[in-house]
Amino acid sequence: MAFDAEDDRTDEALLALYGRGDAAAARALAFRLTPRVLRVAARMLGDAAEAEDVAQEAMLRLWRIAPDWRSDGAKVSTWLYRVVVNLATDRLRRRRSVPLDAVQEPEDDAPGAVGRMIEADRAAALEQALLELPERQREAVVLRHLEGLANPEIAAIMGVGVEAVESLVARGKRGLTKALVDRREELGFGND
Amino acid sequence: MLEDFLTAARARAPEPSEALMARILADADAIRPRRAIAKRSLRERFGTLFGGWQGIGGLATATAAGLWIGYAGIADPGTLSGGLVEPGAETVELMPGADVFALASAVEG
Repeated sequence: MAFDAEDDRTDEALLALYGRGDAAAARALAFRLTPRVLRVAARMLGDAAEAEDVAQEAMLRLWRIAPDWRSDGAKVSTWLYRVVVNLATDRLRRRRSVPLDAVQEPEDDAPGAVGRMIEADRAAALEQALLELPERQREAVVLRHLEGLANPEIAAIMGVGVEAVESLVARGKRGLTKALVDRREELGFGND
Repeated sequence: MLEDFLTAARARAPEPSEALMARILADADAIRPRRAIAKRSLRERFGTLFGGWQGIGGLATATAAGLWIGYAGIADPGTLSGGLVEPGAETVELMPGADVFALASAVEG
């Protein structure tokens, strides 16, 4: 979405204003776009500190491109999502040497307490299962089902066709379901 | 089942901390284009130095005239205006009788 409750100007209009030196436009853009950038980075990386670094770097690139931004029909948010995904992917590749077992487990002090997990545990379980997916599937699922983007926009972000996105999302969801089924009883879905 | 997990994850989305927002806003301010002064081109600054396009126009005219005079090698620049000014207007007496005052002044000494 290019609009928010505080400012009905589009992302593109705000970026153009910032490119001409408007400090207030930067503030509006930062408060609008940083949450999205951080969410994607966090889901891709599974590490809060690294996600913050990626979010800051992505926004820095946005500030730098502002004076030269040429809309040509492109959306700022699409461009920014692509930057975040690429930055996160770079970091994942750098840490390839770290075995999967070393990925931090979400805190899970009382699994299945009194037969029912709280919502936070389900969210943590999903985030953990996401980290076990191949990167491209993870990107597609995060953008489609957690960010709520349409497939054509995801295709533009990932640099693939819409059919490839559909395939990645479908395979990603199957992978998530398989990973979560193993913990179904534990997570309070035993009777579903 | 998966949709319940996705819904839970959407509801528990991470939010930017105040410290992160402060860092991002500091970056934005540090590299914010400073309008006007930084954006002026060399051509604009040159134009301002010589009084805008009117000044540059006058300067160009004078330069062209100087080049022409130099190239043509005119011995007596006074003749340049000969074709434009009527012969009768060549001498204009701005102070009638000034020569008499000059003579009297010279005699009285």
